[in-house]
Formats: sequence, C-alpha cells, structure tokens
Amino acid sequence: MIIRRTCRQLLALSQRAPVSSRFQSTLPETPVTPVQAVQTSPKDEITRPENPLLEMVQAQAGANTSAQQEIAAEESHRKNFSKLGTTVRTFYDPENVIRNPPKPSQISLEMLLAAQTHLGHSTSRWNPQNSRYIFGIREGVHIISLDVTAAYLRRAAKVVEEVAARGGLILFAGTRKGQKRAVVKAAELAKGYHIFERWIPGSLTNGEQILGHCETKVVNALDEELPDFKADLADRPSLKPDLVICLNPLENVVLLHECGLNNVPTIGIIDTDADPTRVTYPIPANDDSLRATCLIAGILGRAGEAGQARRLKMAQEGRTTYQPIKAEVLHLDPFTGQPPGGEGQKK
Amino acid sequence: MGKVNLTALRVRQTALNQFASGKTSKLPQWVGVVGEIPPAETLIRTRPPQHQLVHRRLKTVTVPYSEKPKVTVSLEYQEKRIKPKKASRLFQPVEIKYEEDQLRSKFFRDHPWELARPRVLLESTGKDFENYDWRRIEQPGKRLDGESVVQRQLWLLNHVPDITESAAYDIARREFYRLRLKEDIQRRVAAEEAEAYGAKFGPSYMEIGMKLENEQYDKWVTWARSAAQVQDQRHAALTGAPDLGDAGEASELEMEEPEAVPA
Repeated sequence: MIIRRTCRQLLALSQRAPVSSRFQSTLPETPVTPVQAVQTSPKDEITRPENPLLEMVQAQAGANTSAQQEIAAEESHRKNFSKLGTTVRTFYDPENVIRNPPKPSQISLEMLLAAQTHLGHSTSRWNPQNSRYIFGIREGVHIISLDVTAAYLRRAAKVVEEVAARGGLILFAGTRKGQKRAVVKAAELAKGYHIFERWIPGSLTNGEQILGHCETKVVNALDEELPDFKADLADRPSLKPDLVICLNPLENVVLLHECGLNNVPTIGIIDTDADPTRVTYPIPANDDSLRATCLIAGILGRAGEAGQARRLKMAQEGRTTYQPIKAEVLHLDPFTGQPPGGEGQKK
Repeated sequence: MGKVNLTALRVRQTALNQFASGKTSKLPQWVGVVGEIPPAETLIRTRPPQHQLVHRRLKTVTVPYSEKPKVTVSLEYQEKRIKPKKASRLFQPVEIKYEEDQLRSKFFRDHPWELARPRVLLESTGKDFENYDWRRIEQPGKRLDGESVVQRQLWLLNHVPDITESAAYDIARREFYRLRLKEDIQRRVAAEEAEAYGAKFGPSYMEIGMKLENEQYDKWVTWARSAAQVQDQRHAALTGAPDLGDAGEASELEMEEPEAVPA
C-alpha cells in the first residue's frame, strides 16, 4: 500500500472526473413523450420547414440592384472555384508535442535539433562547469552538443520510468510562462504531481505548516483508494516526493535546495548558464525555448507512463517492485510507534 | 562560486548513511534506481571538440606514362594552432566554422536585399536536409533564397574538378537569377489568369501609397495658392499699388488692434 497525500494548492492530483460523468445532465430525467400532434387532413399537403432566411435567398435570386448582383456573382464564383488549389498535408503543429509527446525510444538528434535544444546562451553568460556539454561557439552563442543531450535525456527517462515502476511520487515543476500545459500533461501521463506556479518556499522543509491541510489517501497496489485508513492519516508528516523534475532550475533554486536538504533526487534542464551541480541528473538543453522544454517534459512523462503501466501490470499479477506497508504499521501512532490507545500513549 | 555543493549528486550515499546510522527507519524507493543508474560525472573537464575548417576540392593530376589525367580528391585543412594561446583556454569551447560561411557572407554582401525577404526558420522534423540534392538549385519544400545559392556553390566546389570559387559563384548566381525571373513571370501570369476567372484584387500597397502622397500634394497646392496670394498682396502693398496698399494696411491695423486692447 502506498500513502498518497494530495494538495489542492501545490501537488494537485492530476485526476479528472471520468469522461462519462461529463455528459450526464444534472437535471432530473423526465419521460420523453411524443408531442407531435398528428394532423391528418386530406387537404394538408407536404409541409416544408420554413427557412428563416427565405427572404434573403429570394432576394438573392432576383437580384435587382448592382450591389446585389455583385454579391450573387461573388457567391457563384466562390461556389465554382472553392475546390480548386492545393491542400497542405505535412505541416508543423506546435500543439502536437504537447498532445502526443514522443517516447524515450524515439529520441533522435534531428528531433532535438528541430526543437532547438542545442541553443545555449551568449558565451559571456556561461557557467564553466557546463564545458563538457558544449559543442562549440556559433555567432557568439554556445551550442550544446546534441548527442550529449540525447544521452542524458535517455538516462533521465530511465530514472523516471524506474521510479514510477517502484511506486514513487514524481513531481513535475515548470514555473515559467507557457510551460503549464506541458507540465500538467507530463504529470498526467506519469500519474505524478505538478507545479506550474510559484514553489512556496518551505513546502518540503516546513511541510507540516504549508501542506498540513492537504488531503492524503491510502491506496492499494492497484491504485484503488482504501477509505478505512482515513482516520490513521491524521498527524502524519507531509509526504515528500521521490523524484523532482524541474524544467527551469534557474528560477527554482529554493526548490532544489530543499530537495538537497531532504535528500530527494532531482532532474533538471541545465542551460549553459545554469549550475549543473544543483540537480542529480542534469539534462543539458535549452531551457528558454518552450518547444524544447515541452519536448523534454513530454518524453519524461511518457517514460513515467511506461513505468506506471509496468507497475500496474505486475500488481495485477500479485507482485510489487517495492516493499508494501502493512496495515498494522499504518494503524500505529506516528510519534510513539505504539498502537493507538495503548500504554505508550497513556504515558 | 568557490566551493562546489555536491549534495544533489550524493543523494544515494546520504540516504544509505542515514539508514545505517538509524536516522531513517526505511530506505527510500529510489535508492536502488540511483544505484543502478548513477548520475554522470559533471565536473570533470574534457577537451572540447576542436573544429577544423576543411576545404574539399577535386583536382585533375597528369599522371606520367598515361594518357588520361586522373581526378583526385584534395582536402585542404585550415592552418590551426595545435596549442591554444593560453593554457587556461585549453578547456574552452572553440568557434564552429564551416566552409560555406565565407560564401554566405559574400553572397549577402553582394545581394543585401535578399536579407529582407521572409524566410522559414522552423523545422518540423529536422530531416529537411534529407530531401535536398544540390545537383540542382531548386529543392522540394524549400523556397529559393540566398541559402540555395550558397549550398549550390558549395556543391559545385566539392564535386566539379578544377573549379574556382568565382566560377562556381557565377554558375550558382546565374541559375538563381534565371529562377527569380521565372518566379516573377509566373506570379504575373497567375494574377492575369485569376483576373480572367473573375478575381478582384484590391489596390496594391504601391497604389495606396501613391494615393496618400497625391492627397498631400493636393493639400500643398491649395496651401501654396493661398500663401502666394498673401505674398502677392504684401508685395503689392510695399511697392505701393494705390488701391491694394490701403486695404493691406487697413487689414494689418485691424489685426493689431484687438491684440493691443487687452495689453
């Protein structure tokens, strides 16, 4: 069993109402009775539905003024020639990388190049610790080596997949403008959590105060909620993520610092001006291009999806990759380690 | 700067130590994962790739005791310092240079208005280059622009024996000019065809501009007429035309009087 704690404010659970419920009406159902009155009189002929634009159509047919004639001519012209011309089949759709992100196995250097992951910062703004990721200088801008990016991205994807397969809590954080949808989508795929607004400092180090009011739930190996344990979840320390993925480490120094204090592994996109030692698994890439960050977030989300699928499949076979918590342990008092109402608590 | 913080890189060691010392009662789930997939070494400096400019040319060489001259591939390497200027620059990235950079700068120096044309910078797959074959200057899915000339010239330099840079430039440029002319004609014919089929084009930017300019000219003409009239009157007053002079003086006095009253 895994304890999950959700928070409305920060670690919003990426769950929505099932699709079927969205189509249900809230109105009470009334039996539908046929209202159409049957009028059968021999005089009635076939009645045509009255066109509300009948007058306009008639006016157009009998065009009198020159303006009307012009409109009619234009209309007929459009009707005759609207099917001519070419249709563009292959074109770039910027939404595609968010809606349907590629899998880690599909990473190619061309894809990374097209997503502009190779563009670094001006040479004067570099962090010399990144020198091993840099391919060269072009027009005064550092160019990040694409093969290094691909290798590090594959490694990070592997980590996400394994952590997901072990039932770890994964937190995606991307707080720059425009990263919101990619972050939410990645968290949705990986069944993780997301932050697209500001990281509230102290959410990890002072979690009791900041996340204390958040909801927590106990789930079984198949991710089904066990409501019997609701009472045991009071007075427990706030949950900590097992992996944090940060799309913009430059703005989230506090988050990474807290992860360091709480010993949480991190993955981050490291541009040429960022500090690579702030994260456990750096991905050297351009963090200023939305297309690049969306691509990387999507790939990591897909990796998480694969890990979750593996975990659930194993759970259905009755196996787990992690040590499950026993029900007796959950019933114990979190501070004394004694059963509730026992002698330990009385003292 | 200064000290390097290695906390993030040592999460696994810390977790194991905390477990061993009894600070934590349970190892986190990710310890095995981080152990299997260790973080890469970040702080080890490596020599960055040294980019060298290479010119590939075909040259015919007369071989002794044979009738036919032989075509050989010659690669000219740009002279480069083996050692960088300073020892401290040993690990710094170096400039990436390509042969076509020079050709590109020459073309756009000669044709600066080519830079004013709109260009597509976006690539959807990054594999556009696979469709290109620079045996011809026209490419599927690519607009004809200065880059086409540069790539065509480079192909000629690399694949035609004994060709000079200026000769390749001339060939590529001619092809480019011819196609640009053809594009113009195509555009004109298309417009004529569309008009014949009933299309109506509004006034062009040039016509709108001319109209605005004409309006300004007309304004100026009316202003100039009135200004000339006033000047004529003044001139006539100074030279002393009897009827006009009195009228001019009278009007001037009338103009001055209301100003004097409030003062």
